Amino acid sequence: MILGPLFFAAPLALAALAALPILFLILRATPPAPRREFFPPLRLLLGLRTEEESRKRAPLWLVLLRALAAALMIIGFARPSLAPQQISGAATGPLLLVIDDGWTAAPAWPQARAAAEDVLAESERAKQQVFVVLTAPARTPRDAGEALTAADARGLVSRLEPKPWRPDRTDALKRLPKKPERFARVVWISDGVDDPGAAAFAEALKQRGPVTARIPPRLARAVYSAAATAEGIEAEIRRAPGGLGQGAIAAETLEGRSLGAGEFRFPPGADSVQARVALPPEIAARAARVRIVGESSAGATRLLSAGSGRPLVGIVDAGGAQTPLLSDPYYIERAIAPFAAVRRGDIRPLVDGGMQAIVLPDASKLAPPERNALDTWIKNGGLLLRFAGPRVANAVDDLVPVKLRPGSRALGGAMGWEKPQGFAPFAAESPFAGLTPPADVTISRQVLADPSAEREARIWARLADGAPVVTAAARGKGLIVLFHVSAGPAWSNLPLSGLYVDMLRRTLQFSGRAQGAISEQPSTGPWLPSRLMDGYGALAPPGSDAKSVPADIFPDAKAGPDTPPGFYERAGSPGSTVDAASPKDTFAALALPNGIARMQLDGERTRLLTGWFLGLAALMIALDLILALALAGRLPRLPSRTQSAFGAALLALAVFYPAQPGHAQDALAKYETRLAYIRTNDAHRDRITAQGLEELSQVLRDRTSVEPGPVVGVDPARDDLSPYPILYWAAPDQPLRLSDSALANLDRYMRLGGLIFLDTRDAGRTVSPGQGPAASMLAGLDTPPLEQISGDHVLTKTFYLLKNGFAGRSGAVRIWAESSASAAARDGVASLMIGDGDWASIWAQGGEEQGLDTPATPHEMAMRFGVNLVMLSLTGNYKSDQVHVPALLERLGRRSEARP
Amino acid sequence: MSELQTARTEAANLAGDLPGVLLEARRLAAFTPGVHGRRRSGAGEAFWQFRDHRPEDGARLVDWRRSARGERLYVRERERETAQTGLFWIDRSPGMGWSSSPATPTKHHRALVLCLAFAVLLSKGGERIGALGGPAPRAGMRAADRLAPDLIAPQRSEPAEPKGKSIVIYASDFYAPVELWAQRLKAAAAVGASGALIQISDPAEEDFPFRGRTQFEQPGTVQPITFGRAEEAREAYASRLVQHRQAMREMARIYGFMLIAHRTDHSAAPALSLLTASLSERG
Repeated sequence: MILGPLFFAAPLALAALAALPILFLILRATPPAPRREFFPPLRLLLGLRTEEESRKRAPLWLVLLRALAAALMIIGFARPSLAPQQISGAATGPLLLVIDDGWTAAPAWPQARAAAEDVLAESERAKQQVFVVLTAPARTPRDAGEALTAADARGLVSRLEPKPWRPDRTDALKRLPKKPERFARVVWISDGVDDPGAAAFAEALKQRGPVTARIPPRLARAVYSAAATAEGIEAEIRRAPGGLGQGAIAAETLEGRSLGAGEFRFPPGADSVQARVALPPEIAARAARVRIVGESSAGATRLLSAGSGRPLVGIVDAGGAQTPLLSDPYYIERAIAPFAAVRRGDIRPLVDGGMQAIVLPDASKLAPPERNALDTWIKNGGLLLRFAGPRVANAVDDLVPVKLRPGSRALGGAMGWEKPQGFAPFAAESPFAGLTPPADVTISRQVLADPSAEREARIWARLADGAPVVTAAARGKGLIVLFHVSAGPAWSNLPLSGLYVDMLRRTLQFSGRAQGAISEQPSTGPWLPSRLMDGYGALAPPGSDAKSVPADIFPDAKAGPDTPPGFYERAGSPGSTVDAASPKDTFAALALPNGIARMQLDGERTRLLTGWFLGLAALMIALDLILALALAGRLPRLPSRTQSAFGAALLALAVFYPAQPGHAQDALAKYETRLAYIRTNDAHRDRITAQGLEELSQVLRDRTSVEPGPVVGVDPARDDLSPYPILYWAAPDQPLRLSDSALANLDRYMRLGGLIFLDTRDAGRTVSPGQGPAASMLAGLDTPPLEQISGDHVLTKTFYLLKNGFAGRSGAVRIWAESSASAAARDGVASLMIGDGDWASIWAQGGEEQGLDTPATPHEMAMRFGVNLVMLSLTGNYKSDQVHVPALLERLGRRSEARP
Repeated sequence: MSELQTARTEAANLAGDLPGVLLEARRLAAFTPGVHGRRRSGAGEAFWQFRDHRPEDGARLVDWRRSARGERLYVRERERETAQTGLFWIDRSPGMGWSSSPATPTKHHRALVLCLAFAVLLSKGGERIGALGGPAPRAGMRAADRLAPDLIAPQRSEPAEPKGKSIVIYASDFYAPVELWAQRLKAAAAVGASGALIQISDPAEEDFPFRGRTQFEQPGTVQPITFGRAEEAREAYASRLVQHRQAMREMARIYGFMLIAHRTDHSAAPALSLLTASLSERG
C-alpha cells in the first residue's frame, strides 16, 4: 500500500490507528500515580485537604505526547519504507536477473550485490520465480539455468564474487533460458562497459520483457600495460568515457608491500593516459604488480613478470660447497639479486635456460662440450662474467678477454715488498666511469694479464700501479668480462664493498643487449600457474582445480576460465603473466538500445523506515517516563545550579560515551592472555563460538596455569590482532570473502607468529583444505602449504597425550597444519591450522564433571583437544621433543640391557 | 514475623552498633561540663576536709589521729552524697526508626546517643542510672555500658511508671496526643519524679519538603492520606505542628518536666548541654 511517499508492507497494522481516540480518552482519565512517603507525624495531617487533591486527570500535553508515541509505534509496525518508483512493476510472472560478474563490475560490486538483493527482496514479496544469468563465462556454469525461488536466488547472489575476466555477452546470449518466452520483468545489473556482444544481448533481453539496466555510477578503469624502465615503472591507464578523471597508481611487490606511487590525470577528452611511478631501477625491478589505488579489480591490477626489467642471470654453481655462505656464488648472488633474476646451476642448463648473462666463478679449463656450448651462446649475444681464483691462476681455457700469465701475483705478503694495491681512478671510456673507488678497497692477490696481449682487450679498471684488474673483450655478438680477482673476499676486500655491487650492475647492463642471447630452441612445456588473481585483483596460490596452459596457446592467452590471470612459470623460461585487461579488448561505455530503462546502481534503494519510527516512539516514551516522574515529584530535586551542571554532565556523557569505549580497559586487556575468535557474518555462529571458547577458558583456568581473560571477538578488518595467541575461526553457514584490509591484517598476524585455527565444521565432508568453506574463507589469503597431521604431531603432546587421535563432532576428524618446511622461518611452528571437528559447538554444550577412572566422554576429549590447541599456540614447538621420547626410552633401555 | 521477633531483630541490629553508639555518647559527654558540683560537706563516704572542733561536736567526732599532730582538735568531714536515680525511656515506635535521608541518623539512634551521653555524665557524678521499667538502677563507671542493652531491649511501647523519686528522661518524637502524655507525666509526678522530655524530630517532619502528588502513610496506624499537591498542605501542617509542640511543652512544665526539642540534622551537643544545665539546676 502506498501513501504519498511511503510504502507500507503491513498496511493492516494501520487499522490500529482507529483505536487512538479511545486510547486518548483512557490516558486522559488516568491520573499519574502518587509518590508514596513514610511520614511519622501522619496524625497531624488528618483532616487536611489540598485544593487539587481532586485532580484526576493527566495534563493535556502529556496525553498528546503519549498518543503521538502510540501513533508512531503503530506506523512503525506497518513496516513503512520510502517507496522507490520502480516498485510497482513487480507483477506476477517470472523475473530474469542478469548480472555482469566480470572484473569490470568488481569496483562497484557491493552496490551491484545490494541492487540484486533489493530486486530479489521485491520478487520475494511478490512470490515470483527468478531466473539468474551470469554473463562472465565459467568452466562450470554457475547460474542454474532454471527457475529458482527468490530465496534461493538470494543465496546464490550472496555468494557471488566477480570473476577476474571480462563478461562475454555473446556467450551469455546462448545461455539465456529458452522458457518462458516472456518475463514480467528483466533486470540487468550491468558493469556499464561495452563489448562486441552487448548490442545483440540487449536486443535479446528487450524481446523477453521490460528491461531495466542498472549501471554503476563510475565505470571501471584498467591498467592496460606496465613495464619497468630506467626511470621507474610506466603504465598505461584507460577508462571508459566518463570514468573518474584522476587517480594514482601504486607499484607493489609480490607480497603486497608498496614500493611507490604516482598520480595520473586524464587529459580532457582522452581516455588513455600514461602514468609513472618514479623508482630507482633496482627497486623498480622488485615490483610485481601495478594497481590503481582505491580500485580493487583484476583489470586495475597489472602484473609484472619477474623478468621484466631484470636481466636473467645464471650463476654457475656445481653445488656441494662445504660452506655455502662463504662460497663465491653466494657473494655474487647477494650482490646482483636486487637488480637481476638469478638462477644457479650447471653450465648446460643455464645456457639452455635462456640466460641473458652467465657468471662463472673461479674455474679452470671447461670440458669441451660445455666450453663449446658456452662459446656459441656468447657469440649469439650472451654476456659471460668470469672471476679469477686459484684455479684460473693454475690454468685457464680461451674464454677469457686477455691472455693470462700463469700463476698469481701476491701483493703485501710476508715475503714481498709490495703493499696491497687500491684501484686507480676509472678511465672516462670505462663503463665504470663516474664511480669513485673507496681508498680502503685493496687487492692483495690477482691474476696478471700477459703484457704483450693487453692491447687485445679493453681494460675497464686498473690497479694503482697500472695492472689491469677488470678486462673485457667482445666475442661474436657477445661479451666476456673478467675480474682478475676472486668473487669472494679471499683475494681482496672488493666483494665486501659497495663498489662491487655498482661494478656488477654496470657490467650486467651489457646483458641481453642482443636478443639472440635467449636460446634458439624455446622449451615447449606447459605453463603452470604459480599465483592467480581473483576478481578484486588479489593474488593467491592456485586452487587444486587450476590447470596448466599448453605452450602453444599461452602467448595469445586472454583472461578467461581456462587461462585465469596471474603469474605463470615453466621450466627453462623466465616467468610470464596473463593479465585481466587485454589490449585487444574494447573499453567503452555500454550503449543501450531504446526501450531499456537505465538506472543508477545505488540510486533507488528501498529504505525501510520501521527503525526510525519505532526509535522515535521509544524516545518519546522515554521522555514521557521522565516527565511522569517529574510530575509525580520523584526526580531528585537538586539546587538549580547543580541541576544544570548535572544535565550538562549527563549530556556530555551521552555525547562522548560512544567515542571512547573504555580505552584504558583495552590497554590493560592487551597484557592478558585472551582467547579470540574471528567474527563472521553469522551472529548465531559467533555466539556459539564465544560460548565454546568461554567454556574452554574455564577449563584452562581449572586445569592449567594458563588463565585466560574474557573471550573476545575480533574483526580482522579493524582490530589489532597481535595481542591474541590464537584466533579461532569457525566457518559461518555462508562464508564470504574477506575484505582487503582484513586479508592484509591476517597475513600480518600469521607472519608475526600467530596461530589461526579454522574450523570448517563440516565433519569429514572436506576432502582437502582447498575445497569447501575453507576455500572461500581463505580466498585471497597468503595461505601456506598445508599437510594433514597425524598422531605424532606436536599437537598430540602439548598438554594431554592424545594417543587416539583427535575427537570432534564426527568420529574421524582431520586436521591440516602448515607444513613444517614452510614454517621453517618460525622454527616449524604452524601459523594456520584447519580442522573439521566443529569443536566450539561441543565445548559450548558443557559437560558434567567426571571421575578419573570413568572413560572420557566425547565432550571431555574435545576439551582436551582444545587445551592442547591453546597450549600449542602458547608454547610452539616446545613439546616437539616428546615425539622422540619412545625412541630415547628404547635406546636407554637397550643400553641398560647391554650394561649388566 | 511477630512483632516481638521484629523488635528483637531490630535490637540485635542496634546492639551490633552499640560500641559505636557508646563511644559517640562518651565523646559527647567529654565535651560537656560536669553537672555534679555538689561540693559541700555532708553524709558520705569520701573525705572532704578537716575543720576545727567546735564544742557542740562532742568528743566522738574528734579525729584523734590528726589532732595528735598539733595543739588543736580537728574534726574529719565527709562530702555530702545525694545519690539520685536517673531513669531513661526511649520510644521504639516505627516512626522513631526512620530518617528522611541517608545523611541523617534515625531518630531512635539520636535518642540513644543523647540518653547514653547523659547517663555517662550522671554516672560520673556518682548517680545511679537505669532503664525505666528495666532492672534495678546501678552506679559506677560501667553503669552506662550496662544501661545500653537495657535501653534497646524489646520493651512495652508504653513507658512504665517510675517507682519513686527520681530523674526520668523520656526520649520520643511526642506525636502522640497530648492527653496521653499528660496522664503518664501526672503519674510520674505523683511519685515525685521529675526530669525532661527529649523531643527528637527529623528535618522532613519540620520542613515538610514534599511536592506533587504524594501519598503519606505510616504502617499500623491510620489510613494513608493522599494530597494532589503536597506543597499546599505545608502551611497548615506547620501551624498544627507548632500548636502541638506548644501544648506539649505547657503540659510538661506543669508536671515538672522540661521539654527539649532536637532535630536529627543538628549537632547533639547543644541538646545535651541544655539537658545537663536544666537538670543540674535542681541540685
